[in-house]
Amino acid sequence: MLLEIDHHGGVPIYRQVIEQVRRQIMAGQLGEGQQLNSVRELAGRLRVNPMTISKAYALLEIEGLVERRRGVGLFVARVRESHKEQTKARLLEQILKKAAMMAVQFEIPEEEAARMLVDLYRKHDARTRSHSNE
Amino acid sequence: MNDTNPIVQIHGLSKWFGGTDALRDVNLDIHSGSIIGLLGANGAGKSTLLRHIIGLYLPNKGTCVTFGCEAGKLGPAQLGRIGYVHQEGELLEWMKVGQLIRYVSTYYPNWNHQLEEKYVADYEISMEARVGSLSPGQRQRLAILLAIGFEPELLILDEPASTLDPVARGQFLDLLLQIIQNENRTIIISSHILSDVEKIIDHVVIMEAGRILRDCSFDELKEEFHCVRLSTLSGDLPVNLPFENVIQQQRSNGQAVITVRNTTPEQIEQTAEDLNCQVEIQTLPLEEIYKIIVS
Repeated sequence: MLLEIDHHGGVPIYRQVIEQVRRQIMAGQLGEGQQLNSVRELAGRLRVNPMTISKAYALLEIEGLVERRRGVGLFVARVRESHKEQTKARLLEQILKKAAMMAVQFEIPEEEAARMLVDLYRKHDARTRSHSNE
Repeated sequence: MNDTNPIVQIHGLSKWFGGTDALRDVNLDIHSGSIIGLLGANGAGKSTLLRHIIGLYLPNKGTCVTFGCEAGKLGPAQLGRIGYVHQEGELLEWMKVGQLIRYVSTYYPNWNHQLEEKYVADYEISMEARVGSLSPGQRQRLAILLAIGFEPELLILDEPASTLDPVARGQFLDLLLQIIQNENRTIIISSHILSDVEKIIDHVVIMEAGRILRDCSFDELKEEFHCVRLSTLSGDLPVNLPFENVIQQQRSNGQAVITVRNTTPEQIEQTAEDLNCQVEIQTLPLEEIYKIIVS
């Protein structure tokens, strides 16, 4: 689990942890059944208060993304596909909204902004494919 | 998360010295396992409050109960569970560091020699140096070693970093971050250097003129205030922005930076959406929050 905490970023640390773990689960970087670092391990490594990690984990558990196996630890839960899709769409929308607003503010025409997004998508999609073919 | 009995229970505590009120009707519970930042200006009553917890002062009114025992009746059984590092930090100046550590450790049957060795190695404490010749940073480290060597359940740090330079403060914070990895340890750290404690505390108590102004979880306090940056997509912002509980506001042309209280990020986003504005939402540094609360 690779997480990075910004102590001056104006976002509470527990929220940063939740956002990063959630995103990694959605991206498949943290796979179903994979064990999360223990509270102690992660708090020690990130140099934060263990309560902060406990709180983040508890909220991820409520969200249904992770599950606790008694006496063993926390694991990435089986998440319903529909729930996963909703979450992915929500995360993507947050980012796209910023881009769309900037396009409006810069008065970049709708078709051009849309074309930029499609071009970027294709560029990165192609790159991923060529990597996986190697 | 804290469903256990508090380890310190302060109820209706008032303390005065001559005609000066030092503490006025203070109520406070301290729960096991939390890291509490006790914040306030010099003279707010932080040290006086901490001294009641270890029985150095007795209340004029009200009660202070530590580990189930009233301040006036605290004995070795309770005090052996408390580590205390204070501002002046008197140590036996004429002893060598090693001698002082041995001397103090003999008072504690449960002194952790392994912890001591690790600490001495990690922080390059010279056992042969005279206590009186140590720099403020080295002194501080020694004082902390003496306070944590017996693995106290409650560690009280009264302005522990105030005499240290920024580099030594950084090292001290690193050390605290190591200490707090033991989840059962409760730490109360008083400070007026707020950027220091911000990284480690999970609970905040703010004092002013002998009273407690706030006693809440740090996240709760952090999320009470947000700094909102708005930028319109075109034209100007309306004269009256539809935000409630605005504390500060600055604006120019199509932009505004406002500080709001008791408004969730979701509510802020919704308002920005209605205004058709770009929005960035951040929490405030503890220092800013503190200023708002005491003003």
